[in-house]
Amino acid sequence: MSAPENMAPGNPASGNHAPGNPAPEGAAPAGKPPEKKPPAPSAVGEVLTASGISVGGKYIGWSVCDTVRKEGGSGGLVTAVLAGALEKGLVKHVVVLKKSSQYEAVPVLTSDVDDVYASAGSMHMLISNPTKYLRQFQNDAAIALAVKPCDMRGIREQQKRNMIDGDKIFTIGLNCGGTMMPYKIRKVTEEVYGVNPADVRAEEIEKGKLILETTDGEHHSQSIDELEEEDNGRRENCRYCAVKIAMNSDLACGNWGVMPDYAGKGTFVEVMTEKGAEFLRNAIEGGYAEVKEASEAATEARGKVNGIMLKMSAKTKEEIFVPMQSKTLIDFKKELENCIGCGACRTVCPPCACGNEAKCTAFDDPADSYDISLFHMVRFLHLMDSCVGCGQCSDVCPVDIPLARLYRKFANPIQDELNYVTGMDDRTPPFFEIKLEEVQ
Amino acid sequence: MSDVIPKSAVTGCDSSGGFNPKIVMFCCNWCSYAGADGAGVSRFQQPANVRVVRVMCSSRVDPVHIYTAFLEGADAVLMTGCHIGDCHYVNGNDKTLVKYKFVKTMLNEMGLEDGRLTLRWISASEGQQFAEFVTEMVEQVKALGPSPLRKEGVV
Repeated sequence: MSAPENMAPGNPASGNHAPGNPAPEGAAPAGKPPEKKPPAPSAVGEVLTASGISVGGKYIGWSVCDTVRKEGGSGGLVTAVLAGALEKGLVKHVVVLKKSSQYEAVPVLTSDVDDVYASAGSMHMLISNPTKYLRQFQNDAAIALAVKPCDMRGIREQQKRNMIDGDKIFTIGLNCGGTMMPYKIRKVTEEVYGVNPADVRAEEIEKGKLILETTDGEHHSQSIDELEEEDNGRRENCRYCAVKIAMNSDLACGNWGVMPDYAGKGTFVEVMTEKGAEFLRNAIEGGYAEVKEASEAATEARGKVNGIMLKMSAKTKEEIFVPMQSKTLIDFKKELENCIGCGACRTVCPPCACGNEAKCTAFDDPADSYDISLFHMVRFLHLMDSCVGCGQCSDVCPVDIPLARLYRKFANPIQDELNYVTGMDDRTPPFFEIKLEEVQ
Repeated sequence: MSDVIPKSAVTGCDSSGGFNPKIVMFCCNWCSYAGADGAGVSRFQQPANVRVVRVMCSSRVDPVHIYTAFLEGADAVLMTGCHIGDCHYVNGNDKTLVKYKFVKTMLNEMGLEDGRLTLRWISASEGQQFAEFVTEMVEQVKALGPSPLRKEGVV
């Protein structure tokens, strides 16, 4: 997740058809900002020095380097901060995305700053969650990476279970309106857009439309709503995800709230932690990035976009999680009957921390021939207080069991009841909340 | 042929042919098991549908135990332990309560009826309450009928 400025529909309008969306113009990448009636400015005051950065501050930032600004999504601030941290030795490694095509990328651990620069640019079809990947390396040295909100929630959950050392991880959170399945977009490219997938050079989401740019420079666009009607748009779990701004990371970045004057040229960044402030100061001192104080209007606009996205999510959630009719058990049996027991859902699951000797596999025996496998029963229970809703389980399932929906089905009622949002803060998971010392 | 066999024949029935539920009951060693003992010593009458499993503490009952009981064909699972604050291990029953809440929510979402999993605190001196609880639960489960999780043909 390295440099994509806005991982998922970074644009406020991603899949967003709501009328009155405040920032559709603000999302327009590049291009001259309309001069005629300048709306509220994004940023106020002069370019800040490092001492001007404080926790809780909201800024508009961009990279100083021209190439990064050109390649990066909205001013290249994320790339600049990551490069600065790596070159100045604040971190030893950075996790970046190595694109294998416009549709797929893999997370790669690198210490080469060129890789960081090469990863600049947004990608909306990235579905992998780096938590488990990170776990292999986190004991070596400090690592920086850019994350979607659900990535960060996974990392936080691992931190709570003492599997990742939070002191060694620096994260830049990216606004995320949802991600798309590469294979579906590939299919759509051919069938709906009528374009050869190999010709696609870049993609962007703008005003609720998915725009593909081909090598001959032509733009092809389709409404995401229409794609979603055919289940070809954002992944299902993204459509009802309730965390769109990564408030749990060190720096929360994105282009929501960036007004037309900085559209495509600046990133809105909110400093969430002291570590975030340190990294941003480092980028400014090292001459990688410049920031200005964000205006009131920009902050407001960002909140408004977020509000609209959350409202849409809540609506979808209501549509998807209808109480099952009678015979619920039979429904579950049916959903799970194709399971081949490969365990891929467990392998990719970001909050899952048991390791190889886990309860879900230890008690699961194919010889049991129970109606519902114990593996799934245990995982349903374990994820009730830890599911981050990243949806990778459904993605990797070889027999297409809608696992994310099943996990959320169990997790939603208890998380609502206990008022617990997974991975957003350091609160102990409810299942482990009772400690010996606290009684008496 | 199959339609003349009453359902009770494959789910276990009593002498009068009615449904005779199988109930797994977890009793903690220090309170509820002693309570069961007390019920026996005091000769309180209770139905014989309950299979008692003694555990050292109610918090020893893992969700897997409950699932396995249901999947093996139990019509109901009862959890019992010391009253809150009386736990022999300081706060074991607080943990039981959390686990119970999770498992209960999950089983309800799965569509298992509400009365099939019940938690009750029964102390060592409450023999009568123990017998009453068992009687009450057996009546309740009889009204619910065989568990939908029970495998067909399991008696």
